[in-house]
Amino acid sequence: MKRYLAIRVAVMPLLLLGIASIVFIVSRLTPANPLVSIVGERNLTNPTIVAAAKARWGLDQSIPVQYAKYMKNLLHGDLGTSFTTRRPVLSDLWDRLPATLELTTAALCIGVLFGVGLGVLAARHRNTLIDHVARFFALLGSSLPAFWAGLLVLYIFYSRLGWLPGPGRLDPRATEPGRITGFFTVDTLLHGDLKSFKAALLHLILPASVLGWGVVGIVSRLVRASLLDEFSMEYIKVARAMGLRERTIVNTHALRNALLPTITIVAFTFAFLLTGAVLTEKIFSWPGVGNYAVEASRKLDFPAIIGVTILGGVAFLVTNLIADVIYAIADPRIRLS
Amino acid sequence: MSRIAGSTRRSGFARRTMALALAAAMVIAACSSDAKNTKTSTAETTSASAAGSTAGSTAGSTGGSTTAPSSGAALVIARGMDINSLDPSRAYCDTCQIFMTAVYETLIGLDPKDNTTLEPRLATKWESNTAQTEFTFTLDPKAKFADGTPVTSADVKFSWERLQGLQGSSSYLVSRIKTIDTPDPGTVKVTLSAANSAFLAQVNASYLGIVNAKLATTNGATADPTTDKAEPWFLANSAGSGPFALESYASGSELRLKRNDAYWGAKPAFPEVIIKETPQAVTQRQQLEQGGVDIAMQISSDVAKGMSGPDITVKQVKSFNFVYLALSPGAKGGEKLTPQVREAIRLALDYKGLVEVTVGGAGQSQPSPIPNGFLGTEGLSPPAQNVDKAKQLLSAAGVTSLTLDATYPSLNVYGVDFSTAMQKVQTDLKAVGITLELNPVEIAVWADKIGKDGIPVTMLYFAPDHIDPSQYAQYFGLLPKSQWQTWTKADAVPAETDLLDQAFAAQDLKARGALYTKLANAMIADQIIIPIVNPDLFLASRSDIKGIHYSTCCNLDLSRLTRG
Repeated sequence: MKRYLAIRVAVMPLLLLGIASIVFIVSRLTPANPLVSIVGERNLTNPTIVAAAKARWGLDQSIPVQYAKYMKNLLHGDLGTSFTTRRPVLSDLWDRLPATLELTTAALCIGVLFGVGLGVLAARHRNTLIDHVARFFALLGSSLPAFWAGLLVLYIFYSRLGWLPGPGRLDPRATEPGRITGFFTVDTLLHGDLKSFKAALLHLILPASVLGWGVVGIVSRLVRASLLDEFSMEYIKVARAMGLRERTIVNTHALRNALLPTITIVAFTFAFLLTGAVLTEKIFSWPGVGNYAVEASRKLDFPAIIGVTILGGVAFLVTNLIADVIYAIADPRIRLS
Repeated sequence: MSRIAGSTRRSGFARRTMALALAAAMVIAACSSDAKNTKTSTAETTSASAAGSTAGSTAGSTGGSTTAPSSGAALVIARGMDINSLDPSRAYCDTCQIFMTAVYETLIGLDPKDNTTLEPRLATKWESNTAQTEFTFTLDPKAKFADGTPVTSADVKFSWERLQGLQGSSSYLVSRIKTIDTPDPGTVKVTLSAANSAFLAQVNASYLGIVNAKLATTNGATADPTTDKAEPWFLANSAGSGPFALESYASGSELRLKRNDAYWGAKPAFPEVIIKETPQAVTQRQQLEQGGVDIAMQISSDVAKGMSGPDITVKQVKSFNFVYLALSPGAKGGEKLTPQVREAIRLALDYKGLVEVTVGGAGQSQPSPIPNGFLGTEGLSPPAQNVDKAKQLLSAAGVTSLTLDATYPSLNVYGVDFSTAMQKVQTDLKAVGITLELNPVEIAVWADKIGKDGIPVTMLYFAPDHIDPSQYAQYFGLLPKSQWQTWTKADAVPAETDLLDQAFAAQDLKARGALYTKLANAMIADQIIIPIVNPDLFLASRSDIKGIHYSTCCNLDLSRLTRG
């Protein structure tokens, strides 16, 4: 297993370089003009301003030269400077990643907890009203566009009912806690600021629920199907024949086996959430990587686009690896080689 | 037996679950009703509190309820920030105008009441020669930067030379400056390469704010783009003399300004101003209604509908922004856009319907590319639809059916959704036999296409940088190498260049107005730029916020805002 892990980790940088190369070439070949986000559309025909901008951002060089320079910088850990924020892409990602991680972690927790619970409930009450309601709820979560669901919950729970706070990670007038982890819920606690912790937690509920709702759908359907498979196994029949309580049979025996395939899905879902929180972040003015990615692609901000893609690649590769390892630990029959 | 028992248990569980769900639904409904009542009473409390100038009342301790701000609390503005830089020589955006005005003062200010009268700011007086080529400014000896050092002519020279040297987006404003002399610390003498009666208006543009030369230079600022290293420093620091200084900036999140306690003028009311990134108009409204923010600046007409109550004030004001259609006879596929066909297109459009469809009637039609209210626009005839004449013109031009590519940037600007506007244009032109093939794209794709092949029919927007009409002639007129002459590849019109030169050389306001009227009419006759709508602005705020004015040069002057 150690050898397997070492090989997987060693291959990662090569894969990332490959991803970066593909994105670099595709973005440069796109019929679009990134100068519009640098000088504004009102200066696009001003030769002096355009020439100065091209020279400053290296866009006056040939694509092979730009590629060689980018790769050289990349190997030194330099992802370049964003056209739009005018800051190093690495700093931008470093600043925004905790916000996205905090949101996706919360969404994943909500998704897994509710998804497993709903899946168990649906499986135990197969073809009853509970099952139908659970499946309808799951379907709704999987099919509702995050954009629409976000606006809806904001309207209901923030604007109409006033139960939960609106967009942002904290109240507009609040000052961000000093950065330790970048997770506001954690940092406020570490600073001993319970009032801000409560605010950060409450601000997390709506966006995390919207994002996690889709996960509920995926996980609950998977758990339901896996549990139903397990229920038809001999060992479950034996357990029932022995007079074990239904709760013990489900929670101790069936669920444990049924959760195995969920591990892979959850790992992949986490990576998807990391890269797919775009709309949720937009609606909730969440200053994370998703928002950054949208702006980068809209403005053809080459360095930022490649930076976000590399981050997404890392997320998928790492979560995939973690899923494999957890799978092997959870199921002794599996050996990684 | 056991199965039966189990089944009974399950159905019992199901019943219990259903009962629980029902109970939960009833509780939620009850709470929801309570919450609505609470919201109403909260609104009344806040209103009463506002009326009695009592601050600090709490609308609730959890959830969406927000603590009402005290009189000394920060001012919070919700808007979609479009900041490209906070370096005064590189910044160029609507939010940048607000930032620059608050942090970097200009030599000349603008009276927000009429948006035309220039007033002293860093300069107490100014004069020009009759040829409009030399301008002399006398600086206010009291003016000082936030670090206490006095504002001198050397700072003015450094700021404008850096703007010119770095060739940032707003550098066109100083392109005619030939030399800047500083005979003494309190006097600045500017010599231009050609007459420019618009120079004082340009000096009022927020982008010509003055930077503390010594502080900026210490942090890497130069006028040479190859050696200048100051932009990252300007993202975290400021070096101005304005009523506010930069506190912090988190791209995509918020911009915080703190009051410049050493400000040499009247101290601003707010100790801190926070501009929160809130791109959605709906969310801006929700946050304003909940008291989370004090001002929402990008409320569209449809979102503004129904915004009322004692806590909220919505001002509908005329703006100088507009959205226009551009016709390119020189574009690939636009060859049939002869002057006759272009005039037919102009006559085929239902201008009142366009204002109705795009902004729900909250706007005006605009006769020429120089917006209503600018010098020289008085008395211009508003555009009118004449379908019969449009058909006659097309018939005379031998055009029986015409299909045109209409690629446009997929934008929503000033509350105008370009797709909605283009669909209305498409419908109007269909009635005279012209088919538009609508193709919404991202602006970067649009920019590439218009720069290469050109686009026969497209749509864009414009907001002014200063109060002089010359910017419109320079941008929209068919002057050699102007933006739209280049893009449309239409033949240049020398008469427009002559008119602009005359306007630049004229000192008398009336004479300049007459020349700009002629220029406006000449641009109407070009039939290249057809304004579609001049939308009104909706400035929504909490009722206790006073002093909100829309400014041509500066968008919103934060120093004039007060609470209570």
